[in-house]
Amino acid sequence: MTTRWIATGLSHDLPNGAVMAGQWQATELAVWRSATGKLAAWKDRCPHRGMRLSHGFVRGETLSCIYHGWVYGTDGGCKHIPAHPALTPPAAICAEGFACVEANGVLWLAPVGMAEDPPRLVDLRPVRTLSLTCDLATILGVEPALGGSDIIRGSVRIGGQDEEICLLVQPRPNGITFHALCSARADVVQVSRWLEALRRSAEEKVAA
Amino acid sequence: MITPQVLNEWYPVAMASQIRAGQRRETQLLGIPVTVKMSDGAVAVHGESDSFPVMERFGHVWTCLGSPAHDLFAVPEADQPGRRLVDVGVVRVKCSPLRAVENFLDIAHFPFVHTDILGAEPHTEVNRYEVQIREGSDEVWATKVTFYQPQAAKSAEGGIVTQYMYRVPAPTVSVLYKTCPVMPDAWDVIGIFVQPLTEELCDVWPWMALFDDVTPEAELIAFQQMIFLQDRSILENQIPRLLPLDPGMEIPTQADLSSIAYRRWLKKRGLTYGAQMVAA
Ligand code: FES
Ligand SMILES: [Fe+2]
Repeated sequence: MTTRWIATGLSHDLPNGAVMAGQWQATELAVWRSATGKLAAWKDRCPHRGMRLSHGFVRGETLSCIYHGWVYGTDGGCKHIPAHPALTPPAAICAEGFACVEANGVLWLAPVGMAEDPPRLVDLRPVRTLSLTCDLATILGVEPALGGSDIIRGSVRIGGQDEEICLLVQPRPNGITFHALCSARADVVQVSRWLEALRRSAEEKVAA
Repeated sequence: MITPQVLNEWYPVAMASQIRAGQRRETQLLGIPVTVKMSDGAVAVHGESDSFPVMERFGHVWTCLGSPAHDLFAVPEADQPGRRLVDVGVVRVKCSPLRAVENFLDIAHFPFVHTDILGAEPHTEVNRYEVQIREGSDEVWATKVTFYQPQAAKSAEGGIVTQYMYRVPAPTVSVLYKTCPVMPDAWDVIGIFVQPLTEELCDVWPWMALFDDVTPEAELIAFQQMIFLQDRSILENQIPRLLPLDPGMEIPTQADLSSIAYRRWLKKRGLTYGAQMVAA
């Protein structure tokens, strides 16, 4: 696999002050947003004793590890060690950073140092994230109007209209996750129902 | 990794009272299937074709898959008059047996994992404590450990500064001594006996020897289980699952002196089941 941007979620699913688990290929990450909205993504492993940082909690502009409460700033540097309140943590203690950017309401991840920007998705708006227990080929079989590999696109009939659908693919060990977008003028509720129906048909096809 | 040293240690495999009551336990030890049951009026542990030595102590059944290198460790308090011995039961945890022991030695997590029970912000500081390997018994000990606790035990009323001593008398066992809320001159004794099912899966058997003849047993057990379930949410989410014995992968501080000593002690003795030797 080449180094590229992978969508890990939709902006509206990560409000200020929240943290979520993300993934870039096989690398597990913690993605979080500070109280004032700054985004950061790190390997999902606290440098102290290996606890998943995605289980941590956000306070102001910092993320704390849930195990011993080590406090990290948005730059990844450890700011405070509660067991030793008087100590200034050495600069070497720092979470392993990933690049995380937000575009068109989508959160994109890549290793640090990616030259290009994430894919541009013109005239589309985010709908929702869906996880399915089948593979991509099954979905494309169920809905032949869709095509692609990382970014699935197509024009489908929803509520009597042709609507542009875009599914950003995030492979998982036992299935697939999509971050779905649709044309700016489409009815989000109808698109969401259409996506659920797509999931049902695809999963039924696997079960059959 | 299974070494001769690993094989020659004693491990817990069941609660003695359950086996004596006629239960049969099909389980695993170091990845090897074993059965614990009554046989001719005595507790027996056997594998597919062999039978293994059996020891019944501290409410549990212990066995050894190799040739025991030494007797099982002692807990003199277990025989002290007036103490209540409580077998808590079993908690299965998807983690290295060594990570389970290391977590038991750790106090810095109290305010964050056992919030408002064993610790609470802003009382997060871990004062310097002493760590040594005791000669003769060859055990890891941490002494002069103190920590502020909002509710140190089921019998505690309000916050106190609790004193602790910790010992690791066997690779998958830890026993702690802590201020007894109702008898300030005595120590409550709490142990965890960890049964390594595989390198990344264990059954933890907590055990207590307390001065508390008031609290109903069910409440004592529920309290301890609640604490342990909080620990489990951590233990199942540490990466890597195996305990790294080589420095470099994790960053210890002064509060982690007991963990550092435990890791070194394991490494020096070749007790590497559940350990990761090379930085991955
Ligand atoms: S593992 Fe994160 S603070 Fe200890
Ligand atoms: Fe704990």
